[in-house]
This record gives sequence, C-alpha cells and structure tokens, in this order.
Amino acid sequence: MSDLHHGFDETLVSGYLDGELTQGDAQKVRIHLEDCADCRSLADELNRIKETTMSTEFQLPEDNQWDEAPRSASSSLLRSFGWAIGALWLVVVFGYMFWLMATESEDLFAAVLGFGFWFAIILIFLSVLIDRLKTRKTDRYREVEK
Amino acid sequence: MSSSVPGPEIQLVARAHSGESQAREELARSIGNTAYVFALQLTSHPDTSLDIAQESALRFFKHLDRFDATQPIEPWLYQIVRNQVRDQARRDRIRRHDSLDVWISEGKPEPRDRNPEPSETAEQHELQLSVWRAISELADAQREIIVLRDYHGLPYSEIAEVLSIPVGTVMSRLHTARKNLREIIASGDASTTRSNP
Repeated sequence: MSDLHHGFDETLVSGYLDGELTQGDAQKVRIHLEDCADCRSLADELNRIKETTMSTEFQLPEDNQWDEAPRSASSSLLRSFGWAIGALWLVVVFGYMFWLMATESEDLFAAVLGFGFWFAIILIFLSVLIDRLKTRKTDRYREVEK
Repeated sequence: MSSSVPGPEIQLVARAHSGESQAREELARSIGNTAYVFALQLTSHPDTSLDIAQESALRFFKHLDRFDATQPIEPWLYQIVRNQVRDQARRDRIRRHDSLDVWISEGKPEPRDRNPEPSETAEQHELQLSVWRAISELADAQREIIVLRDYHGLPYSEIAEVLSIPVGTVMSRLHTARKNLREIIASGDASTTRSNP
C-alpha cells in the first residue's frame, strides 16, 4: 500500500533509512528530501526513534533462572535411574532400621524416640521426592539446555 | 547481567551440530538470551518470556540436526519464538499493558553506550523508556516488525521469512508502524507536558 505525499511514495523513506532501496530509488528519495521539508522532518524523526530503539540494552536472566537439566537423553536416563535406586535404597535401609528398633529394643521409650526421629527424616525426604517427581512430570522445560 | 545479545554465530552452530559439548553450551546460552529478549519485547512479561525462551531453545535443539548450516540462523530462531509467543497469548490471553511497569523495571532497558556524559545518559534513558513504552502499545504485527528491524537489525528479506509475508510488504508495514510509533511517542510527550507544566 502506497503512502503518497504530493506524488512521492512516503514508504520509501523507511527503505531509505534502512539502506534497503535500489540505487535509483535511493537517489529519488535523496532528491525529494532536499526539496520537501515535511518528508525531511519525518525522516529525521523516524531515524532518531530508530537509533534510540537500537541503542537500548535489556537485562538478561541470571544463570540460576534457567532450569537445570540433563544435557542428553542418556544422562537423563542415568539421572532417573540414580533417583530410583537412591529412593529404593533409602526405603530398604530405613525399613530395616525400623524393624530392628521395633523387634530388638527392650526400652520402649528409646524405641519411640528413635522411631520419631527417623520418621521425621523420612517425611522430609518424601516431601522433597514428591516435589522433584511433580516437577519432572509438569515442567515442560526440563530438557532445555543452558 | 546485561548484554546487547548478539545473534548466534554460524560457526558456533556448526560446532554444536557436530556434537561439541562446549559449543552446544555456548549456543544454548546465546539462543536462550536472544529468544528471551525478543519474547520480552513482544510480550512485556519477564516470566513468560523466560518460559518462552526455554521452550524455544528446546525446539531449536530438537531440530538442530535438520538445520541447514549454510542458511542464516536468526530467521528460524525468531520464527520459533514468535510462534511460541502467539501460542502463549492464545493460551493465557496475555494482557501486556497490565505488566508494562514490571517490564520496564525488570527488563531494565538501558543505553548500550557504557560511558556517555551523565547528562546524556539521563536524557537518553528517558527517551529509550518512552520509545519502548510506545512500542509496547503498538498492534502485534507492527510491534514485531519494528523490533525485528530496529532492534535485532534483520534485513527485509529475513523479516519477510520470519513473518511469512512478501518482501514488498515489509517496507510498507514497517513505515506504517514507525509513523504510528512516532504518534504514540508524541501523544505521550504531550500528556507528560500537560501533567507536568
């Protein structure tokens, strides 16, 4: 769509400012700008806005804002495998300890104290594990590399 | 951390393509930052832009094997980000103007020139803020073309590729966008003058 200004296609001003015109069109614009104060003022103003836009810099995200993620399918698989083995190991070890405390302790008070401590540790661990698993399921960006 | 966010270099893409892990890491950072700034300029939402940048980087790497390393990388990347922004807008109905102040404060647009005269800095900074506020008020199609040309410096042929429009349309749309931008800035200046006589 042409934007005519007393016979001159004004859109050429933008092409001229961007250096995107053919030599012939650029020459035509140069000559017109010498004669037309309105178009010259428009070109100056558009150029000033363009330079201001170009000269701006934006704050980038900090490194820790990007998701930590495995870098390949194999490292992702290994990490999942590691989590599964770790969780299984904890269940077995703590289960065995409870069993020992429940069956071998003669002092009921000591058994309750010990059980309470380990029960709290397990709850905390489970809460972290649940959060991690939930993140793995719902975070669409987990595979993104930094 | 601020940066002028140069686009990813083609050599880096080639090295990453061949599986060099350091190059992949560098490329991922470059892609992420470029995508983040472009998304921020289109959405004005820092958090949404971070999500979009990560999703775009993911898509970029997913299809890296199919990428023709002789072609410029920017149009492809900007196209991915643009599609993500549009999908996100459809999903969340982003309301840009609500978060404009957040964008201005968190995006922190500031001069690239690190050592200008102090008086120039303040003036330049004010001008930049008013220009970016005005850009965020443009219609989507006008905002993206201004950002692609005047900030990211894409030639018309690549802009046409990103926006899937004929090259001939780029110049007219860009000119209309620039004139609207000028009007918004002028009306902003006028209202500032009225409120601060």
